[in-house]
This record gives sequence, C-alpha cells and structure tokens, in this order.
Amino acid sequence: MIQKKLVSIVLAVVVTLFLTGISFAGTLSEIVKRGELRVAVQSGAPPYAFIDKKGEPAGSMVGFSKGMADAMGVKLKVLDFDWDGLIPALLSGKADILAADMTPTLKRALKISFADPWIEVQPCVFTTTGASYNLLEDVNKPDVTVGVLLGSTGEGIAKKYLPKAKIKSYKGGGRMIVQALLAGHVDAGVNDDLAVLTVLPDYPPNSVRLLDKRLGQGKDPLSFAVRHDSVNLLQWVNLYFGTVRSNGDYDKNISYWLKGIEWKKDH
Amino acid sequence: MLADFNFRVIWEYMPLFLTGVRATAFIAAVSITLALITGILACACRISGIKALKYPAIAYIELIRSTPLLVQIYFLYFGLPTLGLRIPELQTGILALMLNSGAYIAEIIRAGINSVDEGHIEAGISSGLNYVQRMRFIILPQALGVTIPPLLGQNIVLVKDSALLSLISVVELTRSGQTMTSERFMPAEAFLTVAFFYMCIYFCLKAFADWSQRKLIFREVY
Repeated sequence: MIQKKLVSIVLAVVVTLFLTGISFAGTLSEIVKRGELRVAVQSGAPPYAFIDKKGEPAGSMVGFSKGMADAMGVKLKVLDFDWDGLIPALLSGKADILAADMTPTLKRALKISFADPWIEVQPCVFTTTGASYNLLEDVNKPDVTVGVLLGSTGEGIAKKYLPKAKIKSYKGGGRMIVQALLAGHVDAGVNDDLAVLTVLPDYPPNSVRLLDKRLGQGKDPLSFAVRHDSVNLLQWVNLYFGTVRSNGDYDKNISYWLKGIEWKKDH
Repeated sequence: MLADFNFRVIWEYMPLFLTGVRATAFIAAVSITLALITGILACACRISGIKALKYPAIAYIELIRSTPLLVQIYFLYFGLPTLGLRIPELQTGILALMLNSGAYIAEIIRAGINSVDEGHIEAGISSGLNYVQRMRFIILPQALGVTIPPLLGQNIVLVKDSALLSLISVVELTRSGQTMTSERFMPAEAFLTVAFFYMCIYFCLKAFADWSQRKLIFREVY
C-alpha cells in the first residue's frame, strides 16, 4: 500500500518536472525542435494575407512568415482565422506568431506582445463615385452612415474622427464594407487605405473612390505579435526585420505586394 | 483556469448584453409571429386542392428548405439591392427569419394534419359535417396537440438562427459578445455570457409552450 503511494508520488513529481521543463523551454527552441513555424493570419485580408487562386496562402505577411521559417530552417504552417479568432489562437498556443494587419494598440498589448511595426498605413474614407462627399467634414454628418470592420483600428478612428456619423460594424473582411457600400446600406466606409486600394480592382471600374484626405493623425503602424512569454521569439522577429531591411528582401516584398497590383496576375 | 475568468468585465459590459437580449427577444418575437402566419398560410395553400395556390407553396417550401439561412440572408442583404430592392438590415433579418421558419412551420403543421386518423375524418363526413366544421372540430384540435412540440423546436431554432443577423451589422445578443471580444479580447467570458442569455430565452419559450399545450389541447385527445 505504502509502496503504491510512493510510486504515485514519484510519478506526480516526475510529471510536474516534465511539464515545467516544457514551459521553461522558449517558444523559439520549441519551434526549431518541432520543425514547424505556426503563423496565424486573418483570412481574406489582401494584400497582407489571403488565399490565392490556387488555394495557397499568399500575401505580404505570408511572404515575411515564409522568410522567417526559411531562416529558422523549419516548415511554415499558415493557419487562417476570422479577425476575432486571431488573438485567442495565439494565446491558446495554436499559433506561435500572429501575422495580421493589426495595429499595436495599448489595449491589445495587455494580452499579447507586439514586435516593432514593419509598415505604416493610414485609415481612409471611401465612398461611391456618384456620392457628393469630397471633404472629411462632408461625411461627419448625422444623416451619413459609415461602414467599418468590427474591432478594427478603422472602427475606433471612425468613432473618434466622425462622431456625428452613424457607424455600422461589419464582420468578414474589408470586402464586406465595399459590398455594403455598393448595395447602398452605407454611404461611406473607413478602412486602411492599402486594404481598400487592393480590393478595388475586383469591383466594377470607377465605382468606388477614396477621399483625398486621410483620416486621423499621421500613420497607423502594423505589427507582428507573439505571446507575452515568447520574449526570445519577439527579439528574433525584430532581428529578422532588421536583416531583411538591410539585404533588400524587405523592399522586394513591399514593392511587389503593397506598392502595386501586379501580383493579381499570379495570385 | 477559472481563476482567469473575469467577472468584473462581464459586469462592466452588462448594459451591452441587456441591449442585445432585448434586441434578440424583439427580433425573435416579431419573427416567430410572422413565421407562424406565413407557415399557416403556406400550409393552407399547400394542402388546398387549388393548383394555383398549391404549386407556388410547394416551390416556396422546397426552395427555402434546400438552401442555408446564411445564403438567404446574404442574398436579401447584398443581392437584392443590386436588383433594385434595398431593405434595411433589421427588416432584412426579420424577413429572412420569417421566410425561413415559415417554410419549416408549414411542413410541421401539414404533418400534424396528416397525422389525424382517416377514420375520424370519415366519421365526420358521415355525420354530415362540412369541410370547415371537420377542420374546426376534428382535425385541428388533434393536430395542434402533436404540432406544439415540433413548433417549439422550430421557434428555438429561430432564436438561435437570429445570431446570424450579427453578420449584417444588426446589433443583437451575439453581436454584443463579439463587441466585447473585440474590445477586451475575452472570448470565454463574452460567449459564455451570451450562451447563458440564450439559455434564459430558451427556458422562457419552453415554459410558454408547456403552458399553451395545457391550454390548447382537448383533454379527451390524450
């Protein structure tokens, strides 16, 4: 009887040590050991991350993630989630890195750690070509309905800078706002300018236009993110961007994915 | 695990959740009423001998039952405007739920009517009752008894389906959970609270169905 008890105590201690052992090993060494880098991206967010014509994940952030996996010498696994699922996926350990078009806000940073911003975009106001709005003030009126994405930076900025307008929040990616705009459910939309400019070629030509002046203060940064305890991985991601900025890979990625729409032919 | 559960934030978002509950209850109440009317009318057309009524009813019922509700909602919200008819999101949602549930309710009622024993109807005919009298005194009292449980089931489905309206920017119970998740990144707290409120609505509906079953059914039937 006593022997059995002893055995179970020893087993419990061994299991506990084993488990703590795992949590001591950093995420970075875990990835290398596993041979796979798991990256969570937002589904349907071109040009950052999306599923291309061949059914493969593609986009600027997928490109960088591939570069990271190659530099680590491991395989890349892209997991795509709805916007709301991104942070939970990272926190629950399904993904090592969060590669979404996400702005590092102080509120989000309470839950996850952001790497240094890799690019800056700007929220813009877009509307139909036929609409009479030209200035931001034209949109900031009680009879104007503005479409945004639920939980996006654009939503916060629209509420702050267009306080008089009626805000409607959509889910399911930037295309949903354009769709609602073209269907006449909203009079204008707010989203980051690169995301809007990228989807425009998919709609009838000259149906949607951007207002000249951008919304909000200056630039809106985007960052990769990791869990709070993955400090080593965070430093590694920052070093990765330092490296590709100096060897030219960064510029190649940006000019291909974000400066033009040539990629639409291949993806 | 439970130590991480943040009740303080749930409490902070309670006004939002209550707005959501009110909206969902309103949407459900209006949709259920309209769906019952639609269902009864569609069923009446479906079992009537008049071909001009019967075939459109069959087409409606089969069309709705063969397509997902989300597709119907997206068609009404994003598709119809391009064809020239624009309906605001709340009305679109109620319309979609009404059309969707109406088709199922029509079939539930038809099954109830069909379940009435042939012999009872024949007895009614030989007693000299006309069609309306047979419906009123023989068929419907018996049919109602068997249709109430599946009707309750369909109405519960409708309440839960109303969560899809969050996708066309209707502010209801599920959307309040999504909003809390997007602002505080606490999906466990947000969606457990949402689930709790759906459960409350479910038990209210169930109590109402039990009550109406006791009131509506002739005791002799059972």
